[in-house]
Amino acid sequence: MIRLQNVAKVYDGGIVAVRDVDMNIRRGDFVFLVGPSGSGKSTIIRMCLREERVTRGKIWVAGKDITKIPSWKVPYLRRTVGTVFQDFKLLPNKTVAENVAFALKVTGCPPSIVRNQVPKVLDLVGLSAKSDRYPRQLSGGEQQRVSIARAFVNRPPILLADEPTGNLDPATSVGIMRLLDRINRTGTTVVMATHDHAIVDAMRRRVVRLDRGKVVRDMTDSGYESTNDPLEP
Amino acid sequence: MSIVLYLISEAFLNLRRNALVASGAVLAVFVSLALAFGALVFNELVRVNTLQWQQGDHLIVFLKDEGGQAAHNTLLEQVRNYDEVESARYLDKSGAYREFQEMYSDQPALAATVSAADLPASIRVELKDISAYQEVQFRLVGDPLLRRMSVFSEGIERLMSLTQVLNSIGVGLVAILGAAAVVLIANTIRMAIYARREEIAIMKLVGAGNWFIRVPFILEGVTVGLLGGGLAAAAVYASHQLLSGVPTDILIRFQVEPGFLAGRGFLILVFGGLAGLFGSSLGLRRFLRI
Repeated sequence: MIRLQNVAKVYDGGIVAVRDVDMNIRRGDFVFLVGPSGSGKSTIIRMCLREERVTRGKIWVAGKDITKIPSWKVPYLRRTVGTVFQDFKLLPNKTVAENVAFALKVTGCPPSIVRNQVPKVLDLVGLSAKSDRYPRQLSGGEQQRVSIARAFVNRPPILLADEPTGNLDPATSVGIMRLLDRINRTGTTVVMATHDHAIVDAMRRRVVRLDRGKVVRDMTDSGYESTNDPLEP
Repeated sequence: MSIVLYLISEAFLNLRRNALVASGAVLAVFVSLALAFGALVFNELVRVNTLQWQQGDHLIVFLKDEGGQAAHNTLLEQVRNYDEVESARYLDKSGAYREFQEMYSDQPALAATVSAADLPASIRVELKDISAYQEVQFRLVGDPLLRRMSVFSEGIERLMSLTQVLNSIGVGLVAILGAAAVVLIANTIRMAIYARREEIAIMKLVGAGNWFIRVPFILEGVTVGLLGGGLAAAAVYASHQLLSGVPTDILIRFQVEPGFLAGRGFLILVFGGLAGLFGSSLGLRRFLRI
């Protein structure tokens, strides 16, 4: 579903964010990208969305080499990839329902489908009763649920989450992880960048550990740290 | 269809949210285009008022009625034979009446007070060299048929050069103020984009295409341009109506043809819309790249 081949990213000024990363994420996987700040987790997420371009290498997302697609096709890529961010990135002047509906409207979805799908996904994230509220009227956890609802409303095959629990307390984070787990069980591939030990340890999923832009560990059914890791320095 | 309605509603929502900035832009475009339209109308007024002289009547010899047509024809032939004269034509009373009616067709009350009998016949003289008007004047002074002479050579020269200057200034003003309208709209749209930069980034992240983001801003610019242009056309039309009602010297007219006003007013409106389209495209160009 997502494949990175020999990917490197060097920012202006020669700062190396990612170096020689190879990774293959299959359909339906739930993968944690872990590592300290500056290890390249967010850069990988951003490159998968074509927010950043690779300096070297190739990335395939849903079967397409996104390093080669022209700029005008990038919105179509982003419609196949749901995204969740630490700071929620909700439209402040739109209500909960409007924020979720927006992801459908940009694809030219007929109003009848929008009217049908939005309540369903709001029900999934447990916010049906707050569909008319504005983001500022919600708690952090609720805002992140809206963000997840928006990312999932058009049933994308891939969901990328960049530190989705970074701004939340542990109890709320557990709720968000349950939600992402539920979405993953529908067959959606979930890739989540985090440095939250507790969550990674509790979920026991595939963990890719990055350090200074390189993959230093890639293990399935793992925790945040591993003592018998062959790649661990 | 639903997308079109959605984009239009977004554009008007943006206008409502940025009401103060948008109002400022409408006023600025209104002032620019009203001045530009005003310059066009002023040029037309100058053209209308100098039309008679531009056509080549450098000197008009008004004739007494004595002697009748035969005496007038003799004098006409005499004038035509002067070395300084390029051409001369005779305008009888009925011709003078027709000319008067045409000149003041927009002032029927004035036109109705004059009959053909009230107007003198005249000889209209075009000179080879306008500076030679004094020689012709000297030859005709004392002629028993002469009622009065109107010499316009120096005035014409001044008026013509003034008209050319005014025309150039008018065209320059229209160009500069038109460009100002475009820049003002571009700036307004840039401010709107800057104010909503985070929102736009989010739109891009959820897969909104370039045009989905751009169209509301373009519609916003076009609406600002159309409102500014419409207000400018209305203001100049109203000013013209006010001025044309003011009693003035009989030789100066403050009226242009209604067709001219309607045509140029429509052009100003269209220009406002196009300025909005161009200005908003200019404003969007740098900021909305994926």
